[in-house]
Amino acid sequence: MRRNVWYLSVTLVLILGSFVLTMLSGNRPVLGLDLQGGISVVLAPVGQVKSQASLNKAVDIIRNRVDSLGVAEPEISRQGSNVIIDLPGVRDRDKARRLVGKTAELRFRPVLAVLPAAKKPSATTTTTTTKPTSSTTLAAGATTSSSTTTTTQAEVKTSTPAQDQKGATVVLPSRPQQGKPGLRYELGPAAFTGKGVSGAKAQFQGGADGWVVVLSLKSDGSKAFNALAQTAFPKSPPQNAVAIVLDGIVQSAPAFKEPSFSGDIQISGNFSETDAKDLATVLQYGALPVQLKELTTQSVSPSLGKDQLHAGIAAGLIGLALVALYMLAFYRLLGLVVIFGLMLAAMAIFSLISYLGSTIGLTLTLAGVTGLIVSVGVTVDSYVVYFEKLKDEVRTGRTVRSSVDRAFEKSFRTIVAADLVSLIGAAVLYGLAIGSVRGFAFFLGVSVLLDLAISFFFMHPLVYLMAQRGELVRVKKLGMAAGLDAPGVVT
Amino acid sequence: MRADGKHHTLKDLYHERTKFDFLHRKWRWALLSGVVLLAGLAGFVVNGLNLGIDFTGGTVWELTATHSPSTGAIRDLVVPLGIREPKIVIVGSDGMRVQGKDLTRAKQEKITAALAKYAGVKPAAVSVSDVGPTWGQQVSSKALRALVIFFFVIALYLSVRFTIKMAIAAIIAVIHDIAITIGVYAITGFEVTPATVIAFLTILGFSLYDTVVVFDKIRENEPKIGTVKGMTYTDMANRSLNEVLMRSLNTSFVALLPVASLLVVGVWIYGALALRDFGLALFVGLLTGAYSSIYVATPILAWLKEREPKHRAVAARVETRAQRAAAPEYQGEPEPAPVPAAARSRTAAVSTPAPSPARAAAPSDPPVITPRPRQQKGRKRK
Repeated sequence: MRRNVWYLSVTLVLILGSFVLTMLSGNRPVLGLDLQGGISVVLAPVGQVKSQASLNKAVDIIRNRVDSLGVAEPEISRQGSNVIIDLPGVRDRDKARRLVGKTAELRFRPVLAVLPAAKKPSATTTTTTTKPTSSTTLAAGATTSSSTTTTTQAEVKTSTPAQDQKGATVVLPSRPQQGKPGLRYELGPAAFTGKGVSGAKAQFQGGADGWVVVLSLKSDGSKAFNALAQTAFPKSPPQNAVAIVLDGIVQSAPAFKEPSFSGDIQISGNFSETDAKDLATVLQYGALPVQLKELTTQSVSPSLGKDQLHAGIAAGLIGLALVALYMLAFYRLLGLVVIFGLMLAAMAIFSLISYLGSTIGLTLTLAGVTGLIVSVGVTVDSYVVYFEKLKDEVRTGRTVRSSVDRAFEKSFRTIVAADLVSLIGAAVLYGLAIGSVRGFAFFLGVSVLLDLAISFFFMHPLVYLMAQRGELVRVKKLGMAAGLDAPGVVT
Repeated sequence: MRADGKHHTLKDLYHERTKFDFLHRKWRWALLSGVVLLAGLAGFVVNGLNLGIDFTGGTVWELTATHSPSTGAIRDLVVPLGIREPKIVIVGSDGMRVQGKDLTRAKQEKITAALAKYAGVKPAAVSVSDVGPTWGQQVSSKALRALVIFFFVIALYLSVRFTIKMAIAAIIAVIHDIAITIGVYAITGFEVTPATVIAFLTILGFSLYDTVVVFDKIRENEPKIGTVKGMTYTDMANRSLNEVLMRSLNTSFVALLPVASLLVVGVWIYGALALRDFGLALFVGLLTGAYSSIYVATPILAWLKEREPKHRAVAARVETRAQRAAAPEYQGEPEPAPVPAAARSRTAAVSTPAPSPARAAAPSDPPVITPRPRQQKGRKRK
């Protein structure tokens, strides 16, 4: 008796408590693409992937680009050699689609000046229209920047991707350091591109230099590089440096130590091992950039997303209501147990999804909603199994009160077996992952696990406690005995 | 037909007093299944399956227009832009769905803009799904692999949990469900998408579970065959089905209600076509799953079991008993010339069934009864 009260109270406190917490904290389930609108693109490399590092670099490049789109919860992941990009809620879907697949180019540009980091929001690159006049102002600014005061420098805007042409003078940011935006560089036209690079590798030199990057250039690249070195070497910093730019971000801007180079070029500068290896990857990537092609794209408009969300919710609620009514009609008072159980399950799932959404970024898609709706059948089946076993016991002449525990012991095995079958099925479906319907299997599985817990910690204790009250059992036509078709009872 | 000769009522079902005869008319159900399967096969051969773009590749545009769109106008719009054989569907009163193949991204964007202008909405309100041919192939092979793996897992589980004959019967029922669902999709021409395949696999799980419920009951009742007079394997299976009927129907109905709601609300009220892919497969699958546990799996099992020598013997005994009871000379006669007590005690040792007063062992009786096999394991016979 006491154990049942204990189970029941703890379950109620846990579930109701977490639900209230979720509502109060404003945490809500994160909606997937097909419920809030957005774009999802799967890219694959063209031809053979020469190195995993290059592919990872390509993913990094995409990530940086996506950051500039201002998407709230972007998700970029790899599945084998496919790259999956999910951008829920992105406003210009076509632009996003064009942006993510573009092949990035490595460029070597002479450094003209160093500018302070961009002040948000004036330097964000989300504008779609290009202002043709701004490049001329930049050019004008270039001639004066070396001797201007800080006021004009603060107004210089970073070049947009559209302005970032090979032959133009641009203002580009360097990589962010520890989350803070880095310095910006004003750079001249590109001297040569990654096509002139034949290879690069990171080496440990020992001594003062530590980790360095050794860059090998092809003959035309070497010529261009030397031309750059001759003009830049005599100048004073920062103009005696060359900026290595990948996809509009300055990866490194080393200064020339010599006016001309024959053979390989060594780039050093207090690099850690990771810094050096990273730069080497950048250079290797530039030599042979990974070209990505679209495998599949799904672009959902916000209105369609909203419609699908409403449809899913409405279908779920109506389905639940129908099932609840049927249970009430069939099992009378015991049907209330089912209704309460379903409500608790709904609250628990809501809290769980909201929590997982804010922690691991779990999104609720239409497939997930369908999985939840299907799981209602599995959940209610547990109640049906138990109640039918109760019926069997009561039919042999026992009282309802004395059958409650026996029936549960016998039926719990069946409930576990059934739920296990559903769980294994969901696990297999999740692993098979056809298209984007993993969400279905995931939410079905979570529901089934929850059902197991609720059967044990809620359904049985509640029925037990209800059966202790004779009044609840004996009510004519509506009572528990009536619901269980006990012999001699009017139904 | 109930024992008192009247037809069953719903109340009988509720009180679990049913005595439906599922199994003695098995050819009726075999015929029904056969007809449905044949229709499905015909549909498959004639129509083929309407595979969605996730399997075949292509591009789909979905949008809601501000006026009633017409198929002809849309076709005139998209064909010059590059869709050679567009599939155009008008959903409800203002929804449009256009499908085409082999389109570059640039062409897709142009078509998006054109369709948006036609519908009177902004291009951002158009939903586009594009699947390249390689992706389509990947998805198709994954789907096939999923079906094969699932089948294998099911077969493994069944053979572990049950005897071979039960496993065979259950697998035949599963194949039956698969074939019927494919047939339904072939006849109706509804689109088959990855969602359909997933829903379908889920249903196989449910159907299997339903069959497990029935077979568990049969296994529970199997030992009773020898003890209850006149009960063959088929009779026992019949009784098991009746006992488990309420539970099985309840489970199926309760699973069907939310799915029906998904179909009705999702498709007709909101026009969310994505829900239709799931909902239809689930609905069809649940129905055939419930049907096949009762009318396919169990009859096949009964048929397989009845061929065993042990059960053939039981059946023969029951048959003879019935013949003797029906034969006119043996009804209502007073106790005839008694069998000598000595003979009777001897025959008792040779395990013949106990003679009843209505059936006297007349000397001209043809000896058709096969002796009941001896009780084993040292059990004493009274």
